[in-house]
Amino acid sequence: MNRTLKTLALSALTAAALTAHAQGSGPTDPQIAAIVVTANQVDIDAGKLAKSKAHSKQVKDFAQLMITDHTGVNKSASELVHKLNVKPEDNPTSESLKKGGEDNVAKLKTLKGADFDRAYVDNEVTYHQAVIDALDKTLIPNAKNEELKALMVKVRPAFVAHLEHAKQLQASLGKSGG
Amino acid sequence: MGLSWASAASPPSHTITIEDMQFSPQTLTVKRGDRVVWVNKDLVPHTATAAKVFDSRSMPPKASWSYVARKPGRYNYICTLHPTMKGTLVVE
Repeated sequence: MNRTLKTLALSALTAAALTAHAQGSGPTDPQIAAIVVTANQVDIDAGKLAKSKAHSKQVKDFAQLMITDHTGVNKSASELVHKLNVKPEDNPTSESLKKGGEDNVAKLKTLKGADFDRAYVDNEVTYHQAVIDALDKTLIPNAKNEELKALMVKVRPAFVAHLEHAKQLQASLGKSGG
Repeated sequence: MGLSWASAASPPSHTITIEDMQFSPQTLTVKRGDRVVWVNKDLVPHTATAAKVFDSRSMPPKASWSYVARKPGRYNYICTLHPTMKGTLVVE
């Protein structure tokens, strides 16, 4: 069942990349801004749930880290958007990211203990990989504003570190096996 | 007591930049008594922590933390928040 959620999160971001290729034009800066803010918010929301529901301390700590780091990234993104006077514009990618995040939280709420931990961490691995792919293939290449582009380049290493961290957690929890 | 030559000059200071989820330089060698300053240029908090030797605790973005290296040795340290971040401080 968890696979469905992974696929959901992944497909939202992949769709952005595919649409961009198909139309020969990627998302606009206001759309990119909305995607970045939504992507961070989705992980903050999952983190808040995991912080209260996770079974193991290391998963709780990871959840707190996600809340702190993604809040930090969104603070910088909001400041930049304000400075540039860009109004984030919802679009199919940001909407489906939001939907994917809500579905993930709904699913996680039905789980407990070690099952919860594994499902949360599995999704974190998939989610961070999907965001890195979207940054590389769609968001960074299509950003017109240099400061918006620079911000995404600057946050990318944090997503990579989170991905590695989540993979280490995943290994220590043992694979869920689907 | 008056000013000795040693107190007249402040100890040499070295900067380790934390950026892109890395300590740079990754390995820094200093003399005993030198000051080491970690500067966080990332958008997220970090720590510089060598268990039982030094611990900056959480440094918010744009913050820095300084440490006077008094004890010779080779100290591996990490960011406790992001365990993939590793550095080494060598005190001669």
